[in-house]
Amino acid sequence: MTLPDRSALSRRAYVRALVAVGGGAALSACLDVTRDGDDADPVPAGTDDPDSLPARQHAWNEFSARDEDGNVQLPEHHALVPLSLASDAAGDAEGNNGDDGTTAPSEDDRQTTETALRTLERAYEWSHEGLVFTLGYTPAYFDRFEGSLPDSVDLPAPEALTAREDPAFDEFDALLHLASDRPDVVLAAEEGLFGDRNELNGIDLETDLTGVFDRHDDRRRTGFVGAGLPASKTDVPGVPESVPEDAPFLMGFRSGFARTQASEDRVTIDAGPFAGGTTQHVSSMDIQLDVWFGQDNHHQRVSKLFSPTHAADELVGEVGDELADTSGVTDDGIASAEAAAREHGVVGHAQKASRAREDGNPPLLRRDFSTVDGDRPGQHFLALQRGIGEFVRVREAMTGADLDVSSANNGILHYLFVNRRGNYLLPPRSLRALPPTAPNS
Amino acid sequence: MAPDDPTADDSAGSSDRRTAIGPVLAPATDTTTTATRRTLLSRTGAISGALATGLAGCLGLGGGGDDEEQDGDYGGRQPTVTVEDPPNAVFLPTHREAMRVGEPVTAGEFRFVPMLSYPHPFWTIAGSDDAAVERETPDVGRGVHMMITVQDRETGLVVPVDEGIQFRIRSDGERVGSPVSPWAMLSQEMGFHFGDNVGLPGDGTYEVEVTIPPLSVRRTGVLAGRGEERATGTFEFEYDDEFRDQVIDGIDYLERDRWGERGALEPMGAGADGSDGSDSGGSDADGNAGHGEMDHAHVPYATVPAVDAYAGTRLVGDASSGGASSAGADGEETAAAELPRSDDAPIVAVLFETDADADESDLARLAGDENRTQNPEQYLLVSPRTPYNRVPLPDAALTASIERDGELVAEHELEQTLDSEYGHHYGVVVSGTGSDTSDSESSSAIRSGDSVIVSVDSPPQVARHQGYETAFLEMEAVTFEVPDGAEGGDTGN
Ligand code: HEM
Repeated sequence: MTLPDRSALSRRAYVRALVAVGGGAALSACLDVTRDGDDADPVPAGTDDPDSLPARQHAWNEFSARDEDGNVQLPEHHALVPLSLASDAAGDAEGNNGDDGTTAPSEDDRQTTETALRTLERAYEWSHEGLVFTLGYTPAYFDRFEGSLPDSVDLPAPEALTAREDPAFDEFDALLHLASDRPDVVLAAEEGLFGDRNELNGIDLETDLTGVFDRHDDRRRTGFVGAGLPASKTDVPGVPESVPEDAPFLMGFRSGFARTQASEDRVTIDAGPFAGGTTQHVSSMDIQLDVWFGQDNHHQRVSKLFSPTHAADELVGEVGDELADTSGVTDDGIASAEAAAREHGVVGHAQKASRAREDGNPPLLRRDFSTVDGDRPGQHFLALQRGIGEFVRVREAMTGADLDVSSANNGILHYLFVNRRGNYLLPPRSLRALPPTAPNS
Repeated sequence: MAPDDPTADDSAGSSDRRTAIGPVLAPATDTTTTATRRTLLSRTGAISGALATGLAGCLGLGGGGDDEEQDGDYGGRQPTVTVEDPPNAVFLPTHREAMRVGEPVTAGEFRFVPMLSYPHPFWTIAGSDDAAVERETPDVGRGVHMMITVQDRETGLVVPVDEGIQFRIRSDGERVGSPVSPWAMLSQEMGFHFGDNVGLPGDGTYEVEVTIPPLSVRRTGVLAGRGEERATGTFEFEYDDEFRDQVIDGIDYLERDRWGERGALEPMGAGADGSDGSDSGGSDADGNAGHGEMDHAHVPYATVPAVDAYAGTRLVGDASSGGASSAGADGEETAAAELPRSDDAPIVAVLFETDADADESDLARLAGDENRTQNPEQYLLVSPRTPYNRVPLPDAALTASIERDGELVAEHELEQTLDSEYGHHYGVVVSGTGSDTSDSESSSAIRSGDSVIVSVDSPPQVARHQGYETAFLEMEAVTFEVPDGAEGGDTGN
């Protein structure tokens, strides 16, 4: 594995590049630079008492930083690690094994998985300064079991959701999502589970996941979110110098406000054996960022991302700094999406997507982040919701096929190119290790 | 005579880009001024950052010093001249483009023609006010302006609406840059097409995969039910000195004193003599009502029918309104000159009715299958077009208000439609004997003596090449009268 050239990159760009490359060598290089930098603080340790941790894997909000407006700040660095069961006959790159190759996981595999994950929790505080993570399972994983998932779990196989896309699908078995403000922690945690480390943050590793899961390196995804991170990526082709200095996402604006996000309660499955879990949709997309910044002006960007009213009344500020804990999309703004399309010839992404609110409450908890995987700008759009059907409904609202507006002015559709989609069940923590379709029965 | 080196002309040089924006698009407030300056900077960043620094750096292509960024692969020979104080109307640009035209490519039910030129300036639009228009200025010359014109294979009709087409570029099997959603664009020579400036890392052979999503625009006649599948097609091109010489050497400058004059270049391939004197006026009156296609060296050109080619009752507009006072420019003496204009766009309005034998089949076709069971009685067709060459103006939002004796009797949102006979227009089924039409207000038919006021809720959201960037933006409503002889639905039962 080739490491990025330290001399050619800023420190931040270098660290980002290391997270993207992954692996032991990247980790030690990362440690080298972060130790003599401002990240040299020790990483807070985890807990020996698993019962002190939340019952939901997706309980991150309480353990995350908040900005001055009280909005949850997603941890800055992310890795999405695709996994297939090692016990299966060697799968192809997509993780397809066919019906014959799949076997139900053994009780030993379950034990090993749970032990390894508990080690992570002992090593690192469950927080943005330590590590938060989830382990999710695809519909393909559950296919190996006799029965099907209970009705209380809405987890269809992924499919194309717009007429213009032709995505590949996540058909491997599981996805490990690692997140931390510390890039070295994201790397070390993955190395601890799959590489040849013996300790993590001073905790001895009793076991790892190499016997249970195979990683699909070619499908590994990484990313970042946080003010300043996108602007540090201008070494990447297609990431223009004009990405605003304070932008938390590559597209240049704040996103994920307290009042435009579902609560964790809202997205939690409330009945059946997987109560306490949630579903996750991950779509990975390219962004034509040089067009967004190079050919549209700020007014046009605000019109397309928020709404034409936001642009006309200058409600947003350069990167969303004028907004507090809401996107500023009002009930009026939502109701007038259709009229806005006709009257302004442009309709905002947030304006459209918020049409899918239920009694004023957004059904999705978005935990998406920007990426330069493959050395080009993109977004890994990760959203939690009680059932995948809700994601599909919101995505339809975002697509806005009902709106009388040109494709280029229909929110941000013109700039996004969906390459992959995957659906996952994130079981409650108690069932996170290789759950069957019908636990407790 | 065209100047030998128009870029040497200080007054029209590229150094002051604000001049280029012109009075209509000039920043209105201090904040927009800042934004404009900042986006100018960002444009520089976008092109030089992505191309020179990024790709070039990664692929080991030269250092990309300032000079090199300025001149790029084209040696700074691309026209950067601008028209000072252009009129708020369609005007003659500084030059005719040269381009390399590829062979037509089949993609499902479509066929498209690829065209390549040097990176161009153009204007993007998202809305209708000044700040909603932005000039894209390619500052570095490594790459191409990549264009396609898409046709329905069966009818030959050019697809003139923005449906989300995508380009994916590869070289030696490796992806080059991000995918691209080309803009829906209007240019005087090419008419409606899709295009964008696309950066390239260097000389070589490139392959472009074009994806055409299913059409979502309302379609009638033979077109109904066509274009429902996503289609892809691929073309290849060489990017090298020969290409660059071809598209630069072929540029044809107009005489300096004609820049900015009201008028338009003839469609590509139309006027073979190429002299500056014959380039305006276009083909207004040639009566080519066909399928909206003109075959110029196999580049299809989207047109709408001439005024008198519609079979229904033509509504009579007030030609002195909406900027038509100056419509006599360039001495066009056609039916088009009698059309009312809105920000220089002539607008045709035609009523199709059941009891006019001649157009009954037109009515059934235009009303579409979805309205068949309702016994449609009237269809109102509205077709805004460019003042020269009859290029349709798509992706606008139009409303027709019907007034009788000064009272508003109905208001109809018009729906953008592609018809296999009449091509692009905005239309609405006005009345039907079935009662549950989608628009319940439509029960009252349009009668002779009524006024039909066509208002433009938002102007054509189509990017513009030089000469179109100041027209069709602030579009006033135009009023038509329904002449005698249009009997109206009241007698139609
Ligand atoms: C690069 C891609 C994207 C960017 C930059 C982006 C950005 C934004 C921004 C700035 C907002 C408004 C601020 C806020 O409320 O968070 C927003 C809202 C939203 N977006 Fe996106 N978004 C992207 C993709 C998506 C996708 C793929 C979906 C899928 C459905 C989506 C769904 C939503 C929803 C549901 C809202 C909130 C609506 C509400 O307020 O109820 N976004 N997005």
